[in-house]
Amino acid sequence: MNKTLLSQSLRVGITFGVIHLFLLLIGFNAMLGSLFADIARVKQSGSIPASIFLVLYCALLGVWAGYSAAKKEDANVFGRKLVRGLIAGTVAGLISAVVSIIFAVLVTNKIDPRKYLAVLSLDFMRASLFNLPVVQGVAANFGVLAGAGLAGGLLTALSSFSKVKHAWKNFAGLVKGGLEKIRYCTSGKYHLLFKIIFLVVLAAAIFFLPTKWGSYWNYVIGTVGIYVILGLGLNLIVGLSGQLVLGYIAFFAIGAYTMALLNAPEPHNLMWGFWPALALGVVLAAFAGILLGLPLMRLRGDYLAIVTLGFGEIIRILLKSDLMTSFTGGPRGIQDIKGPTIFGQPFNTDVNFMYLIIGGVLISMFIYNRLKHSRTGRAWLSIREDETVARASGVNTVKYKLLALALGAAFAGLAGGIFASRNQFTGPDEHALMASINVLSLIIVGGMGNIPGTILGAFALKGLPEILREFANFRLLAFGALLVVMMLSRPEGLIPSRRPTLQIPEDPQSDEENKEVSHVD
Amino acid sequence: MNESVPLPIARKGSQLLKYLRPTFGVVVLLFILYRLYSVLVIRHEYGADTWTRLLITGLIIGGVYALIAIGYTLVYGILFMINFAHGEVMMLGAYAGFFVFEALKSIKVSSEPPLNFSNANPVISIIIAFAVGMTVSALSGFLLEKIAYRPLRKAPRLVPLISAIGASIFLQNAAQLLFSPQLRDVTNPEILRRGIGWKILINGSNVIIPYTGVFTFALSILLLIGLYIIVRKTKLGRAMRAVALDKKTAALMGIDVDKTISQTFLISGALAGAAGVMWGIHNGLVYYFVGFIPGIKAFTAAVLGGIGNLPGAMLGGLFLGLIESMGPAALGINFQLKDVLAFAILILVLTFRPSGLLGEVLSEEKV
Amino acid sequence: MSTNIIVTNKVTKIFGGLTAVNQVDLEVKEGSIFSIIGPNGAGKTTLFNCISGFYTPEHGDVLYYDVSIRGKATNNIASIGISRTYQNIRLFSNLTAIENVMVGQHPRLKENWLDAVVHSPRFKREEKTSILEGIKWLNFVGLRGIANSPAGSLPYGAQRKLEIARALGSKPKLLLLDEPTAGMNPQETLEMTSLIRKMRDQFNITIILIEHDMHVVMGISDHVAVLDFGNKIAEGKPAEIQSDERVIEAYLGPGGAALAEKYRRKKAS
Repeated sequence: MNKTLLSQSLRVGITFGVIHLFLLLIGFNAMLGSLFADIARVKQSGSIPASIFLVLYCALLGVWAGYSAAKKEDANVFGRKLVRGLIAGTVAGLISAVVSIIFAVLVTNKIDPRKYLAVLSLDFMRASLFNLPVVQGVAANFGVLAGAGLAGGLLTALSSFSKVKHAWKNFAGLVKGGLEKIRYCTSGKYHLLFKIIFLVVLAAAIFFLPTKWGSYWNYVIGTVGIYVILGLGLNLIVGLSGQLVLGYIAFFAIGAYTMALLNAPEPHNLMWGFWPALALGVVLAAFAGILLGLPLMRLRGDYLAIVTLGFGEIIRILLKSDLMTSFTGGPRGIQDIKGPTIFGQPFNTDVNFMYLIIGGVLISMFIYNRLKHSRTGRAWLSIREDETVARASGVNTVKYKLLALALGAAFAGLAGGIFASRNQFTGPDEHALMASINVLSLIIVGGMGNIPGTILGAFALKGLPEILREFANFRLLAFGALLVVMMLSRPEGLIPSRRPTLQIPEDPQSDEENKEVSHVD
Repeated sequence: MNESVPLPIARKGSQLLKYLRPTFGVVVLLFILYRLYSVLVIRHEYGADTWTRLLITGLIIGGVYALIAIGYTLVYGILFMINFAHGEVMMLGAYAGFFVFEALKSIKVSSEPPLNFSNANPVISIIIAFAVGMTVSALSGFLLEKIAYRPLRKAPRLVPLISAIGASIFLQNAAQLLFSPQLRDVTNPEILRRGIGWKILINGSNVIIPYTGVFTFALSILLLIGLYIIVRKTKLGRAMRAVALDKKTAALMGIDVDKTISQTFLISGALAGAAGVMWGIHNGLVYYFVGFIPGIKAFTAAVLGGIGNLPGAMLGGLFLGLIESMGPAALGINFQLKDVLAFAILILVLTFRPSGLLGEVLSEEKV
Repeated sequence: MSTNIIVTNKVTKIFGGLTAVNQVDLEVKEGSIFSIIGPNGAGKTTLFNCISGFYTPEHGDVLYYDVSIRGKATNNIASIGISRTYQNIRLFSNLTAIENVMVGQHPRLKENWLDAVVHSPRFKREEKTSILEGIKWLNFVGLRGIANSPAGSLPYGAQRKLEIARALGSKPKLLLLDEPTAGMNPQETLEMTSLIRKMRDQFNITIILIEHDMHVVMGISDHVAVLDFGNKIAEGKPAEIQSDERVIEAYLGPGGAALAEKYRRKKAS
């Protein structure tokens, strides 16, 4: 028993120590510290925050380590939890101390290892020693983690006290009750009233907000909106019909380039206008989806993933190559793409584009929702669940998979057209693989196959990084880690899809009626 | 009773599908023949010397692809998942090789010309570099499986694939943050300096067979043979094949399935690590993105040969290398487009012969 | 006089070197309950897969109302009135029970994606009837109460019944049941037997049954065929099969007939 206590806590400690080491080496502590400093409204020069924030970072990590270790204790014994937290914290602290000693040696000898490890500037290492003299710095690194580990254990132990538990339960119950009440109000006889109020408020917000919050927010929220459209399109393919497509952004590129080539002065000066170009982009994207899917329909799903990835790269490389430069503008892309007009009036301010994007989002949501709850949607879901059985139930799986690809691609074409026109520019590097991965991540994180999840995912993955500027360098790293963690712990996403509850007629049917059914044809 | 029996009528759509594939095939074939004819017969654009150069390049790169492709095929054969992060495992090996050479270069042994350890003991340096690179990659492959794949073994197929994609992005960006995004020049020991080699005279011009290339190719062939012996002749190989066929039965026969899968990841990681160090030695550049494109190409190679099929992956790798180097020349297209060619091959193979050139080796689980 | 709904004509299916089904001839009368029995690995499910289009037999032909369906796409075969269930239950487990049945109705509905987007009259009509019919099928198999539960969360017996309800959704003329009572207790087996009989009697659905429980087979079958190592070794009325020597040997091994005879005599004395 004591052996498991020791070995488990040791393991947690080592894990956290290694994580701490890794985060130090990529400069994550400085980033998070700067974020804390921002929140505390402390001004800083350069990328390295004041020591106090780095201490805070270490302390949080230590508390987390202590909490993770203490949580593993089954017996409700106060002391054991404390000991676990302390052990984990101490081990992590020891690892941190070793790293600090190395830093200290480098700092005192003025060796700059930045040629090999990019973030380890002398300033950074000094800051990691909390700007203290060498010995104190090492000791502090050890002490903070060990102490915080103990604190984490203490917290866990306290929270398991019946009173604390009770209070927590009460609080959770209160919140839950409140939510229930809200649900009751919105679903019961007041349903219609609440719906109307909600819609009116939403409409007002949609109408007034873009004019009020300025062009920066229009840009950020507009981008989020574009990604909501993309996410819904990809959700049709991945979330509903269960086909993994990795080069989805290629369809976006088709929409964007159709808009650019038909509606910009360079290189062809065709100037078709916004709406025809948008429509053609949607159609072409859908067509490309069918064309790409056709040869692959009888293959296992993971092949589709790789082939679409290859297709995305083909499109990008072709757009970039000398071969196509005269036709698509090559690596420089296409500039001065014209905005839309409505009844002859230009409709191209940032507010107008915001309305346009919101319109696109609403249309996409509408179509997505209606498709999902139909025979088509059920056919897609059945293919996702078990393709063989779906076929044996009479679903033409080839047709429906192609349909999903085509419609999903059409959404991307729509998003691409609007995006290119808003930015008045499109170039090959906007359509790199990472953009596809972004879209995939956002629907996975939000919750596959549902609209609220897609919106949440788009805000979390496209909106948050815009707001948290410090985070920019770490964004992709976080995506990667997030994908793995989500798959391990919550593959259904933050907002899992719920199956609709259909209204079941009350009266039980007699056998005669059954017979009757069978003869209706 | 018989009045309203609908007959199974083939739909128009499926009829269309039936003709689409052959039509597409004929069009592609005609295009290729036309380009070949115009480049080789009419224009005579390249002489024998250029073709020899391209052949050498193709074989060298093909050997590296083969090594990486083996990793995909081994893992796919056992777990039926595409180890998307395999290219990143190779990248870590390449960085390890780079760091070893840097470290050895910085050890001064004399003030006379060999100067540093790396030049004074080139053979030992290269062995150390490969040992470290293969160990690092093998361990990262092992950890990857343990952390990101093992808990998901019973999940639907998309789940581990997405996890693998996540791991791939994570590793790429971790490397970028750790080692900075800049391109690193690998300093080889003097005997393997890039750009020098045997010269042969063809068509009146010198064709260089670079030492690095010969070394890379020979080593990859050796490793491939070694792997083949492991899989065919050893107890571990037998266990791997048994697990690939049927995990449950293998477990009943006393095979530790988890351990066998871990060992598979160790082996495929080690091969990828070797490929990474070779990449550094021959191409000379190491950066955080270095594993991605070779990884996808190698996957293409594995599919080309028939995924799950070991000899298939080896041949597929070599074949892809050759196509990539000689294809653009033979078809008279820009060398910028060699990646397009590789991906196009993937699409063509999956369209016309999805089981690959040598046929894929899969168990009954497929249906 | 009833016609043949399905005729297999020297159907042969080979896997690698193994002949799983060897020149099997069957004639199934419309409106009958036809059982296929045989030891494990006799090729019963393979034969099912040949009929429902999962496999294309190497030789021979499958006729449905005298029209060949050999090599036709599975979904086309399903849409002309052949439904099936599976030995190891294969439901769409994340969909609700009623949705499973509604997927089963797929080939009978006509609404397409455009109807769904604009909510055309056809869409409204078909959605409404498909829910009503789905409920009726669920009611028929006794699962009305759990219409909105996810299929994967249902107990084993209910899942078996739901598979049947899903198969009924397409209003099949022919229903292939692959071991419908496997893993059921005697009570559930009894219910399933009466359900099978009810389907035939009420809807005139022809049923082909793979079954191991001899009480079920002998109780409800009009006709029984016996497979062993891919060959049909006997066929006839249940009573004929019971006394067929080759059948007994197939189950009990060589000398089995004598053994059974001995056992029977002992029981009689």
